[in-house]
Amino acid sequence: MKIPMTLVVNGEDFSLEVAPNRTLVDVLREDLGLTGTKKGCGAGKCGSCTVLMNGRPVNACLILAVQAEGAQILTIESVADKDPHPLQIAFAEKGAIQCGYCTPGMVLTAKALLDENPNPDEGKIKEAIAGNLCRCTGYNMIVEAIMACASGNRE
Amino acid sequence: MRIKPFEYHAAENLKDALEHLAGYGGETKVLAGGTDLILAMKEARSAPARIMSLHRVRELDYVKKEDGHIRIGALAKHADLAASPVLKESFPILCDAVRSIGSWQIRNVATIGGNLCTASPAADSAPALLALDARARVVDSSGEKEISLHRFFKGPGQTALEPTQLLKEVVIPRPKGPSSGCFLKLMRKKAVDLALVNVAFYAETDSTRSKLVRIAIALGGVAPTPIRASEAEAGLVDLDFDEASRKIQEAAKLAAQACRPISDIRATAEYRRTMVELFVGRAGEKTLNALFKSGAR
Repeated sequence: MKIPMTLVVNGEDFSLEVAPNRTLVDVLREDLGLTGTKKGCGAGKCGSCTVLMNGRPVNACLILAVQAEGAQILTIESVADKDPHPLQIAFAEKGAIQCGYCTPGMVLTAKALLDENPNPDEGKIKEAIAGNLCRCTGYNMIVEAIMACASGNRE
Repeated sequence: MRIKPFEYHAAENLKDALEHLAGYGGETKVLAGGTDLILAMKEARSAPARIMSLHRVRELDYVKKEDGHIRIGALAKHADLAASPVLKESFPILCDAVRSIGSWQIRNVATIGGNLCTASPAADSAPALLALDARARVVDSSGEKEISLHRFFKGPGQTALEPTQLLKEVVIPRPKGPSSGCFLKLMRKKAVDLALVNVAFYAETDSTRSKLVRIAIALGGVAPTPIRASEAEAGLVDLDFDEASRKIQEAAKLAAQACRPISDIRATAEYRRTMVELFVGRAGEKTLNALFKSGAR
């Protein structure tokens, strides 16, 4: 059984036929070719599949694609327009990227946080990214990079 | 990690959902946020023949303040509840409890109805709601009824819901006098973990703040369902601040005796019981101080 549906990803409408037992992350990667969204644990623990759903970070591995109908989905591919996003520049400058596998999820969670609260303190940042694991353990640099983008610290 | 295929229905609204359950309830699993159910299906702990998704049923996503009650729709998400101005004002203990659930990603999707219907003995919303004397409003195609949340939980993963019924909302009575509460959760790490033990301590005084008129102590992760420690509560009712402060450690001991923890890979039964005593004492002291010493609500 396949369900006809429209998925709105990065502002674009995609008409798809999707088996209801497929997760959002699989449809994004396999059907739409948006492989910036990573698959890690598949169990909602690591956050590497984080995408924004109506502006909020969610684990795309724990959402069926059919549940995402009607929602605005943003993936990492949407974040850099022509120029990199300030967060992406800050991640590069602070060395907040090691192997890079957690980076798409980290950047999207950080973007959602800054969209909601432009000047978060360190505690708020740590709380926000608690669901994004970096197995290189480069958390200090990641927090520094997000801090650098907080409105109070920008030049 | 592959999910076994299933028949799928996206309910258009509550009425449609109930009609579908009336026909197919026995073989249907209800999908709310899905953070528990989808994981269970991936791990083949659950392989339902049918899934009914509630993502189109917007009418059950609310927090309503009424004269005597606050009503929380079953599909309200934890992130919204943690930030709800109504709940922050009336029941901050519930905001603290739901803020401790999973990660931000999980809280943006997972619903309070899902948390209760999954019926994990360690569900974080449950002790706070039990302590607040919450009731579950249950609905099927023939009508609605309310049962105490206490009677809603039947065992690990088991609720009082029939296959044709849905949890519609949680109803919490508003306190008559000044009240305060404290939620504490023990985890193996600082965030994003299941509770080894969670404790909700809630108290209400008379209008002059001279003595306690209601005490509620609820415990999670230490019995087949979340429980209330009634004997521990009874020892504190009608006491003033000094009397209650003297008796709080005794109440904590009674609470530890009321629980029936198990040993598993995450902690031993003995450790859990010891931590119940410590946490009830700590949450009790914090609650009493907030109620009697500072101008709590």
